[in-house]
Amino acid sequence: MNELEAKAARQASVVYTTVSLAITLLFLVITLFDGNTYTAVARIGGMIWVFILSMIVSMPIVIPVVKKKIMG
Amino acid sequence: MSETTRSGNLVQASLPVQGMTCAACVAKVEKTLKSIAGVQEVHVNLLSGKAAVAYASDQTGVPQMVKAIQDVGYEVPEEEILLTVRGMTCAACVAKVEKAVKGLPGVTSVVVNLPAEFAKVKFYPGAVDKTRIKKEINALGYEASEKVTGQEALDREKEARQKELRYQTRNMWIAWPLASLVMIGMFRDYWILPYIVPKFLGNVYLLWALTTPIAFIPGWQFFKHSWNGLKRGATDMNLLYATGIGAAYIIATINTFWPDAGFGGRGATFFESAALLTAFIVLGRFLEALTRGRTSESIRKLMSLQAKTARVIRKGQEMEIAADEVEIGDIVVVRPGESIPVDGEVTEGYSVVDEAMITGESMPVEKRLGSQVTGATLNKNGSFKFRAIRVGSETALAQIIKMVEDAQASKAPIQKLADFVAGHFIAGVHVLALIVFVFWFFIGYASFFSPASRFVLSPYSLAQVGVFGFSLLLSVTTLIISCPCALGLATPSAIMAGTGKGAENGILFKGADSVEASSKLNAVVFDKTGTLTKGEPSVTDIYVTAGFARSDVLKLAAIAEKSSEHPLGEAIVRGAKEEGLSIEDTDDFEAIPGKGVRAGYQGQTILLGNRRLMQHQNINIGNLDEKMEQLEGEGKTAMLMAIDGKAAGIIAVADTLKENAKVAVERLHQMGVQVAMITGDNRRTAEAIARQVGIKTVLAEVLPQDKAAEVKKLQEKGLKVAMVGDGINDAPALAQAHVGIAIGSGTDVAKETGDIILIKDDIRDVVGAIEIGRATMRKIKQNLVWAFVYNLTGIPLAAGILYPFTGLLVSPELASFFMAMSSLSVTMNTLLLKSYQPSFRREQGKSGRHPSPRPQPAR
Repeated sequence: MNELEAKAARQASVVYTTVSLAITLLFLVITLFDGNTYTAVARIGGMIWVFILSMIVSMPIVIPVVKKKIMG
Repeated sequence: MSETTRSGNLVQASLPVQGMTCAACVAKVEKTLKSIAGVQEVHVNLLSGKAAVAYASDQTGVPQMVKAIQDVGYEVPEEEILLTVRGMTCAACVAKVEKAVKGLPGVTSVVVNLPAEFAKVKFYPGAVDKTRIKKEINALGYEASEKVTGQEALDREKEARQKELRYQTRNMWIAWPLASLVMIGMFRDYWILPYIVPKFLGNVYLLWALTTPIAFIPGWQFFKHSWNGLKRGATDMNLLYATGIGAAYIIATINTFWPDAGFGGRGATFFESAALLTAFIVLGRFLEALTRGRTSESIRKLMSLQAKTARVIRKGQEMEIAADEVEIGDIVVVRPGESIPVDGEVTEGYSVVDEAMITGESMPVEKRLGSQVTGATLNKNGSFKFRAIRVGSETALAQIIKMVEDAQASKAPIQKLADFVAGHFIAGVHVLALIVFVFWFFIGYASFFSPASRFVLSPYSLAQVGVFGFSLLLSVTTLIISCPCALGLATPSAIMAGTGKGAENGILFKGADSVEASSKLNAVVFDKTGTLTKGEPSVTDIYVTAGFARSDVLKLAAIAEKSSEHPLGEAIVRGAKEEGLSIEDTDDFEAIPGKGVRAGYQGQTILLGNRRLMQHQNINIGNLDEKMEQLEGEGKTAMLMAIDGKAAGIIAVADTLKENAKVAVERLHQMGVQVAMITGDNRRTAEAIARQVGIKTVLAEVLPQDKAAEVKKLQEKGLKVAMVGDGINDAPALAQAHVGIAIGSGTDVAKETGDIILIKDDIRDVVGAIEIGRATMRKIKQNLVWAFVYNLTGIPLAAGILYPFTGLLVSPELASFFMAMSSLSVTMNTLLLKSYQPSFRREQGKSGRHPSPRPQPAR
């Protein structure tokens, strides 16, 4: 991996991790305010699963966009 | 990589530029490139023909620079590389490889074929190189290597297939016995199992110990491949499996060791989900490895026909050498029962040769001095020697293999939809899995969950599952059932089988688009001379007056014409020879320009020619004129004959129809295809031929250069037109038609134009090509419908659409079983094409026509 690719990978990882954390945070907020009661395990487990899926969805979208922008 | 980083986003590329002849050209190219925003530095070298460019990659790219160079009149030549890519399993893998390679600067096109396991990449050398392309594919977790051909390719493919099969067999041996034990252990409390299954098998720690190796030995491939793809921004179905197996295994582990963690406890360990899920996916992989490549068996069969050794005469000695060492000009000796190693021309001996493997023709062909022989065909019972004229990649067999491989490397237009869907599917399915999870977590569980919930086809209760475990189960099942494997295999596997079936019958499709286009044809235009007709005149009618015998008239006519070089005279001589008549020399001979000939033979005076000749010689032709008009009305050239001043008869000569032209046209009509004939001949002759063959639409007196315009006129009427011609003088019309069919090209395949090449000189193969095209497209449509139906029904079921009404859920292992069955069913459906035969071939089979009885005359 050359320097440009490494740079693209670094920038992309910041973007997709931020997006995934934002979605996870949204999930957490909903669990706190939707009126139902959830156990801590359900809440944390749910957050982990939502984070994993959000990463999987956002990585293939973000990486090529950032790579194209940086590497042409 | 050819690019080198300078600083920041500045990269350097060295582009080849063709067409530069002087310093002015250099200056022009430099100026053009410098005018592009983002280009920092340009050095053009006239001698090496290269432009070294340093550019800011965030402002411009190789395509823009190439376009600018082309706009000022120079060329940037592309290079093409064929790669074998091993390890791809579904349409998403195809999309993943295509996306990654297309993302490389300088790559202009990528076509990846899943069943054939190869990629065709076009790129600008200097902007990117072969190593970089291979490295990019390897980094995704696949194995890319430059494609080899011939026996080596066959050996490598076999080796790779066996390696994959061995790997998946090992996985099966690990996954299935352990998964079966896990399943028995999980269900030991049900039915009669408590009486026969020992209690320790139900122990959760033992079940965990049995499940762990399944998830991490056979299942490891999915984690590895998905991570390799994901870190490069590409996803494939391995990711679906990895998330499915991973989630099921983690939940099972938590519930085993920390039952109070709130994931459903010991009652919701789901070991069988993780174990059977992996086992079924591995079963799918195993079946794929077993069946992949079966669709291209015809090509493999052709490759395996190649003789390994040849017996040649060098320095007067007969010696055995490897077939690929035969050189042009070598004299090759062929004995009974041997395969002919290369293409050549017979110099000595006589035999009959079975050419079915190349031409599809079941009748063996006679070979004698001067006959052409083709490599890979089988000598039957005689011995002969021949001079090698085409060797290595020039042989007919090598050309045919290349053409079929090229066709299989292309994509049919119908595949675009499947590719689009599959390419966006994985991300879409994960979004769906997220939606399913969120819905059941926040709404569904509270609204619909019942402790009596069960999996379909399972006694297992979900009573103890909490909101997270329940939502996760549905989310995972949705991921598993959504794999687009069947969608990815649907089109390319059928195209491979169809083009292979064509090759078996001497019908070569040049691309997948030709297969699709041939299935849609509703009009066929035949060139007349050489296509519908034999292209050389022959005697069709002999009419004699009272007092003359037919054989005498033909014999004397042949004697008179023996010295003539006129094509009509040659036809008469040939006709007499075919009837076994002896043709002696004339005593004297005179050609009378514009009228005919006069000859003397054993005291007799023979006159053969037109009406004017008879008038000039004061011969009374009586009622022969009427007969002559009738023959001329049939498009024939009729010649009057007089012997010793008396009218003896008429000999008519015409270009005759090929053997199967009439039945082929009849069959096309039955198939609902309009048939037309196009020719430069006069209308009367053309219509006469058309009547004989059963064609109503005749386009006569059309100059060769106007044939394309006539085809265009038919297309403007909304017809999907095929043009059938001999491939050389019909080239513009062949190119204009939706499908150009070059007929009778024998073994000189590479020279031919057209989308479909018929190796034999048999019109019925036009019908065969359309039938194979239609059969292939039927198969593709069936496969696509099945694949779409599977996904469209499977996903909602897995997402729990029926749960509120039935209380039943699809388990992850059942989802993986359905997934494996969907790809298997598509592959099996495609394999049915292997038994398909074009109608004429079926009829030949029924009439019991076999290769042995009656050889065809030498070609």
